[in-house]
Amino acid sequence: MFALASFLEWCSNTRWMVYIRDSSFGMPALQSVHLVGLTMLLASILVINLRLAGFSMMGWSLPSLSRQLRPWAAGAITMVIASGIVMFLGNPAKYLASYPFLFKMTVLAVSILFQAGVLRRLSTMEPASPPRRIDLLAAGVSLTLWFTVGWAGRAIAFV
Amino acid sequence: MELPISLLGWCQWLEHTPLATAISESVWLFPLIEGTHIMALPLSVGMIVMFDLRLLGLAFQSAPASRVMTDIARWSKPGFAIMFMTGALLFMTQAGKAYGNPFFRAKLLFLLILGINAAVYHTSFYPRMAEWDADGRTPVGARVCGALSLVVWIGVIICGRTMAYQF
Repeated sequence: MFALASFLEWCSNTRWMVYIRDSSFGMPALQSVHLVGLTMLLASILVINLRLAGFSMMGWSLPSLSRQLRPWAAGAITMVIASGIVMFLGNPAKYLASYPFLFKMTVLAVSILFQAGVLRRLSTMEPASPPRRIDLLAAGVSLTLWFTVGWAGRAIAFV
Repeated sequence: MELPISLLGWCQWLEHTPLATAISESVWLFPLIEGTHIMALPLSVGMIVMFDLRLLGLAFQSAPASRVMTDIARWSKPGFAIMFMTGALLFMTQAGKAYGNPFFRAKLLFLLILGINAAVYHTSFYPRMAEWDADGRTPVGARVCGALSLVVWIGVIICGRTMAYQF
C-alpha cells in the first residue's frame, strides 16, 4: 500500500501533471473530453437498452445494432477512462478521500460487470416480441447503473 | 438612441429574482439542476450525433437515414426540452456573470448556428429523404449539415464546461 501511495504521489508531481493542474485550460479540457465521451457512451447504451426493452427501433435487429454501436462505444469509453485517469492522477489524495468518487468507482465496476456478463449476452440474440420481463428488467438495471455512475461523478464536485 | 433597459441590467435583475435566489441559496437545487443538465446530454446531443454519423456514412449504414431519424433522432426532442429548461434556470442564477463570459457567448452563438443548420436541413434535405434513401446516396449538402452539427455540438459541450471555470 505504501508503494502505491508513493507512486501516486510521484505521478501527481510529474512535470506533465503540474503543468495540467496549473494551466488555466488543463482541467476544462480534460472535463470536456470526459463529457463528450460520456455523451457518446451513454447514448450508445441508451439506444441498445431502448431496443432491448422494446421501446424503440423495433425495425432493427438487436445484434446488428450492438455491432454497429460497438466501435463508437469503445472510442467513447477510451475518452472517458483516459481523461478520468489523468484527472485522478492530478490529485489522487483528494479523490481517494471523496465518498462520491469511491461510490462512483464501485458502481462503475458493477456496471461493467453487468454489461459484460448480462447485457452482452442478451444483445447477441433477438429479443422476443413482445419483450420478456427479463429484457425489460435488464434494460432498466443497465440504465440505472450507468446513469448512477454519471450522477456520482457530478457529486464529486459538490460534496 | 438608448435602450430603456440594458441587456446587462436585465441579466442582473434576473439573477435577483426570487426564483434565481432560491436556487442559488438552496443546498441541493443547484446541483440537482446542473446534474440534470449534464445527464440529459446523451438523450439530446447524443441522439442527434448518432444521426449526424449516419448522414456522414460512419454508423448505421445498413438502415435508411429516414429510419435513423424516426427511431433515434426523435428521442432528442424530450432531451432538448430538459436541456432548455434546466439551462434557463442555471442561466438565471448566474446571469450577471454569464453575460460577459466569452465561453457563454460562444455557446449561444454555436446554438444559433445549430438552429440555422437544422432549419436548412429541414427545408432543403428532409422533404426528399425517401428519394435519396432509395438511391442509397446521401446528398453532399446533407453530409455537410451532419458534419457541421457534429463539430459544433462538441464545441457547445466544450464551451458549456469551460464557462463554469470562469465564474
